[in-house]
Amino acid sequence: MIKLIGALMIIGASTMIGLYRAKAYAERPRQIRQLIHAVNRLATEIGYGSTPLPDALGKLAQQMQRPLDRMFQEAAERLGRERNATVRQVWQETVDRYWGLTAMKAPEKEAFIELGSTLGVSDRDNQLKFLELAKSQLQHEEAAAREEQVRFEKLSRTLGVLGGALIVILIY
Amino acid sequence: MPAAIEHLLPERLSRIVSRLDRSALDLLEELRIRESRPLEVVYGGQYAFVTAAGGLTLSADEAYRPDRDDCLKLLDILTNHSLYSFEEELRRGYITVRGGHRVGIAGRAVLDRGQVRLLRDISGFNIRLAREVRGAAERIIRSLIDPAQGLIHHTLVVSPPLCGKTTLIRDIARILSEGAWSGSRRPGRGVKVGIVDERSEIAASVEGVPTFDVGPRTDVLDACPKAEGMMMMIRSLSPQVIIVDEIGRKQDAEAIQEAMHAGIRVVATAHGKDIEDVRRRPDLAPLLAASAFSRYVVLTGTGSSRQQHVYDGQLRPINPMADKAALVR
Repeated sequence: MIKLIGALMIIGASTMIGLYRAKAYAERPRQIRQLIHAVNRLATEIGYGSTPLPDALGKLAQQMQRPLDRMFQEAAERLGRERNATVRQVWQETVDRYWGLTAMKAPEKEAFIELGSTLGVSDRDNQLKFLELAKSQLQHEEAAAREEQVRFEKLSRTLGVLGGALIVILIY
Repeated sequence: MPAAIEHLLPERLSRIVSRLDRSALDLLEELRIRESRPLEVVYGGQYAFVTAAGGLTLSADEAYRPDRDDCLKLLDILTNHSLYSFEEELRRGYITVRGGHRVGIAGRAVLDRGQVRLLRDISGFNIRLAREVRGAAERIIRSLIDPAQGLIHHTLVVSPPLCGKTTLIRDIARILSEGAWSGSRRPGRGVKVGIVDERSEIAASVEGVPTFDVGPRTDVLDACPKAEGMMMMIRSLSPQVIIVDEIGRKQDAEAIQEAMHAGIRVVATAHGKDIEDVRRRPDLAPLLAASAFSRYVVLTGTGSSRQQHVYDGQLRPINPMADKAALVR
């Protein structure tokens, strides 16, 4: 009886792990999409509104979903508050802090941090070019992430259940 | 230090400036920051370099030299991390910050069809402190009033930089608007004053609201080009007196004549050592030739040796004190 409970627990746990991994595969392209949205909004704010960066980021934060909203919110607040901060540094630190909470991986992080080192330091045309560049990089990553999602989302789910079953069979 | 500029400076510079001698800080007029060249202050009409410990020296070798990082951070603060929203300012070469201080910038010009489009590689800053001196115009205001109409004469204020032009016309605006020109405020005598504040220096407006006291009946067109602004004022704000700073272009002179012919009194300032200097400026010469102004105020001296001289339309000096005596009688 106890053995049976143990076996069920193992299968349950590995299924959970599988589901979790599958969810990460599904979340990643969705979040990259959000980042692309953010970059688009930023381009509008900078290109048409000439909105100062802290305000623009604050506005963005209100339209994002967790946990990205908090990332933008914190960047906006720090830029408004800290006298010694540069955009590059604040951007890097906040992205580092919040990236772990997202499902996104290294390539899109790199592209996004790269964007931070160019924000606010040049004229409008230049800014729009950098934003365009970041957008195309992110779109590239989004496509890659979607491909991974198709390939691995289901696989992770089934692997979770089957892996649990395998362990149970082996130790039974 | 004037707390106003503390929040403009990155930490390292702010620390150095806050250690400056009180006597220099109180008289501080300009703070000059140039990348890898000595940090300089101009105070009370003299200059000095500043050492890393905040001491004053005349030797450039002992002075603190702001590095690239200091300059980048300063620019970041001045533009609120958003250089792109300051394109117009970068084209004109200065940024006006909260408190009415003007920051002149030097860098490399980027041209677009022969016109300066903006400055890049910015490496030189001149932070000019704006001071509100209430009563700066009190001594001369009576010689500027036209007793027949109870209004101010068309007045041109002439002086080299740093002699207090802007401070003077700001106080004139306040006095006229309060109706306080014979010493005490008399209710019901204030006039409608319009200020066209192209460089946001007169009223130091933040989000459209003046931070300096320019009087209760004063409208301010902030950041508006002078010539256009004067026409807008005439059309829609019905001012009795228009005040503008630093006229110099042809359109400015034309707009001033337009305003004068619309029955509006004009108070303007121009750069120049004396009236002759202004007369020699091609775009302003017609204004003077037409005897448009009936009062000239020439400011001389900086720091504590400031002097105000008033002349009438024929350039005859008017002694403010004698005039006052005449008025009192």
